Amino acid sequence: MIVTAFVLGPILAGLALYGRPRRASNAARGAAAVVAALVFIVAWADPHAPDASLRWLSRPFTAAFHLGYGPVSYWLVLLLALVTFSAALVVRGPRSRGIAAQLLVLQGAMNGLFLAKDVLLFALFWDLMLLPVFLVLAERTRGRAAWKYLIYNLAGGLALLLATAAFGVVAGTTDAIGNTAAHAGIGATWGAWIFAGFALAFLIKTPVFPFHTWMPETYAELPPPMVAVVAAVQSKAGLYGFLVIGLPFLGPQMVQARPLMFALGLCALLYGAYVALVERDAKRIVAYSSLSHLGLILLAVFSGSALAYAGAVVYIIAHGLFSAVLFIALGAVEEREETRDLARLGGLAARNPRLAGALMLGALAALGLPGLAGFAGEILILTGLYRAGFTWPAVIALLPIVLAAAYMLRAFQSIMDGPERPDLPQRRDLTWLEGFAVAPLVAGFVWLGVDPAGVIATLTAEGARVVGLR
Amino acid sequence: MSSAFANFPSSADYVALLPMGIVACTPLVILFLDLFVPTSSGIRRGLAVGVAIVGLVIAGLVAAQSYPHDYAAFGGAFIEGGFSIVFSEIVIVATLATLLLSDGIGRTDQVAGTTALLLWSASGAMLMAGAGNLLTVFLGLELLSLGLYCLCAISARSTAREAALKYLILSSMASGFLIYGSALLFGATGSVAFADLARAAVTPLLALGAGLFLVGIAFKLSLVPFHAWTPDVYEGAPLPVTAFMSVVTKAGALAVFARFAYAALPHGQAGAILVPIWICAALSMLIGNLAALAQTDMKRLLAYSGIAQVGYIVAAFAGTSTFGLRYAVLYLAGYTFMNLGAFAVVELMSRDGDAVVSVARFAGLAYRRPWLAAAMTLFLVGLAGLPPTIGFTGKILILAATTGAGYAWLAGVLIVGTAISAYVYFKIVRAMFVRIDPAHVRDERSRNALPWIAVGVCAVLTFALGIVPLTPSNVLPLVK
Repeated sequence: MIVTAFVLGPILAGLALYGRPRRASNAARGAAAVVAALVFIVAWADPHAPDASLRWLSRPFTAAFHLGYGPVSYWLVLLLALVTFSAALVVRGPRSRGIAAQLLVLQGAMNGLFLAKDVLLFALFWDLMLLPVFLVLAERTRGRAAWKYLIYNLAGGLALLLATAAFGVVAGTTDAIGNTAAHAGIGATWGAWIFAGFALAFLIKTPVFPFHTWMPETYAELPPPMVAVVAAVQSKAGLYGFLVIGLPFLGPQMVQARPLMFALGLCALLYGAYVALVERDAKRIVAYSSLSHLGLILLAVFSGSALAYAGAVVYIIAHGLFSAVLFIALGAVEEREETRDLARLGGLAARNPRLAGALMLGALAALGLPGLAGFAGEILILTGLYRAGFTWPAVIALLPIVLAAAYMLRAFQSIMDGPERPDLPQRRDLTWLEGFAVAPLVAGFVWLGVDPAGVIATLTAEGARVVGLR
Repeated sequence: MSSAFANFPSSADYVALLPMGIVACTPLVILFLDLFVPTSSGIRRGLAVGVAIVGLVIAGLVAAQSYPHDYAAFGGAFIEGGFSIVFSEIVIVATLATLLLSDGIGRTDQVAGTTALLLWSASGAMLMAGAGNLLTVFLGLELLSLGLYCLCAISARSTAREAALKYLILSSMASGFLIYGSALLFGATGSVAFADLARAAVTPLLALGAGLFLVGIAFKLSLVPFHAWTPDVYEGAPLPVTAFMSVVTKAGALAVFARFAYAALPHGQAGAILVPIWICAALSMLIGNLAALAQTDMKRLLAYSGIAQVGYIVAAFAGTSTFGLRYAVLYLAGYTFMNLGAFAVVELMSRDGDAVVSVARFAGLAYRRPWLAAAMTLFLVGLAGLPPTIGFTGKILILAATTGAGYAWLAGVLIVGTAISAYVYFKIVRAMFVRIDPAHVRDERSRNALPWIAVGVCAVLTFALGIVPLTPSNVLPLVK
């Protein structure tokens, strides 16, 4: 029952927010933060909540509204609740109510995705989580970003739908995630097509080069709270899909696709790092750094190495935490200075020490400083790749990780360091509310950086055959 | 019973016709009562619509009673069973929604007549749903169409006349194909009964007859390339009539097509004869959605969207599997609610049911009329095949049936068509949520509150059917 509440609770709360007056931005912000915090606390308190299942289809294949924790999904639900909480606290502006409401709907839909134990239900939430982001984009822009987001992701979603239908027909049931007995039936001929459908959807959503072109525009156009959730958590949906659907059911196809996926992952790593080095728009720098980092996780997912899988899970959480910090901090910069252009920004640290501190912490975690979570994930993945015999991919992957230091520090220096710019408006430093939003995320990646074994241990303890840890 | 009387209809035969008979006789009551109401009285409208609704509800209840039956009435001319009942119920629900949508079609002094014509058309579709031989098909089709020719022309606008004439000519041509095909089928087999066709040997004559018959049906379904009449006719006809045609004509034609494809084609040959239809369905999904991209008038947009949606339904029949039939019926029911819901919203946005409602009128609707925008979003999301609606569940079931029957290419085309359609439907969704200055938009409101009932019911069912996809189990056997 609790797992059902994680899905329906936020969605209903989000819809209920629309009943509030449009101007009630404080109430909307508070309500959204409270709901997210409640989900976090309840989920944290009970990691062994029982599954909830309700029959959906009995023909032509069986399907159920089956929700429950898997080894990875527990952490993702926590991550999502934490990021939604922080994002809700920094919602502001005339559209606060709508954004807060859509944040909650998005949280519910993504909780559904991470908790789904049925592939068809997974597909349902996969498509459902498009809507809140599209509606926020639709209100905001001239339309280009909204359309790019929708068309790309819907194309992926439809490929996923077709693959799910074929999966159901071949396997006889879609109620199979985490159920190791159910996956013997997919043969080689169907398997290739089914894998292709799933892989397309997952690669677009992540995104991975060359399907990334929707991403920079979407991230740049979305309001900061929404982009924090989309970049930090929604981008993990595809990688999560590879872990819970790809590995158990389509293992041979994953191995066959390895050269291609390694090539795509390395391209994403290098290309993302290169663009992040030369880009002038601060939000786009973080967007492209995401492309680079997620490429590394893709390598890990396809490596076949248990160590790299563990690293992938750690890095998924780590990336979620620090990219949320970065986008929230950059959102604060943009709100104050009304620009994201590195050439126009500069010298903010003198008057905004707390803001500079938040951005610095995010940047340090992103560039892989030992002791913070990014490093823990990277070292596990690289070691895993190397020990699995993929020496050259590991070596090539090391280069963009070094470059991360260059582009992250370049962005930080251009915004914060240097002499104060007289042409920039003088605004107050990070408020206590914004600080309160950033603090739990920072605490999260410090804890994860110091003690990643905590996460890895639960993965092992909870029967992490899905993740390959025995 | 002696053999001399064996061919006389028994009372059970007439009972089988009862639901259709009630719908066909209600207009007589309406027209009779209308004689006694003062010409200018406001009661006239309410009386005609009220009696029609009562008649339809009774017919629906009677039909539901006989759902478990399986009876071939009039020597197999009309087959009462789960299949015909399900389609009849869809027709009844769509007709009810049409009546709610319009509060009567046309001027007050026309309402009794238009309501009567509407019900007669509906009874024609119900006859098609139960048709067990070629003659009953033709009878039902003509009964359906004759009423619609008049209803299309009821408006005073010149486009309405044009639409009606276009519909009359093209529809008559389609009927010509159908009756010529029927004649050839009779020539090839010596019988008009579907059951006898299924047992006949395949000759070139039979194949030609079946082909011409299917062309006639494809016209009525407005499958590409027989779709050209649809947008013009939909645009010209009054909005409630358009809504009615978009569901009832298609339901009737789909029932005939399904029975013909499943039960009348010789076993083992159906696959080969029907291949052109699957190609037409594929073209409908692609061209219907591509053409809808360019539309700015809601009626034309929904016309093209309907062409594509019928393509999805026909795709479910591919391979003529039992599951395919069930999911086609499910999706047809879902399409009925999503489509009629969208039409009801459009009706609520126009002061005069005839008026052109352009897509631009939806700009900023979410801020002016949030409930209406929320309902429309649900319908459009459903038509686009996204959760949490029957559009999503229905589509995945169709995909499963189609791939399971070995028509993976058709499933692929369905996916591509759906991807194109996303832009069509989300164009409207985006317009509703974009912030604009309210002064730039004509915000007309219908004087009629009845469509709100249609909107509410359709919205609830669009959502509920997606969660609990009830598929009829009693749809086979189709012929005796």
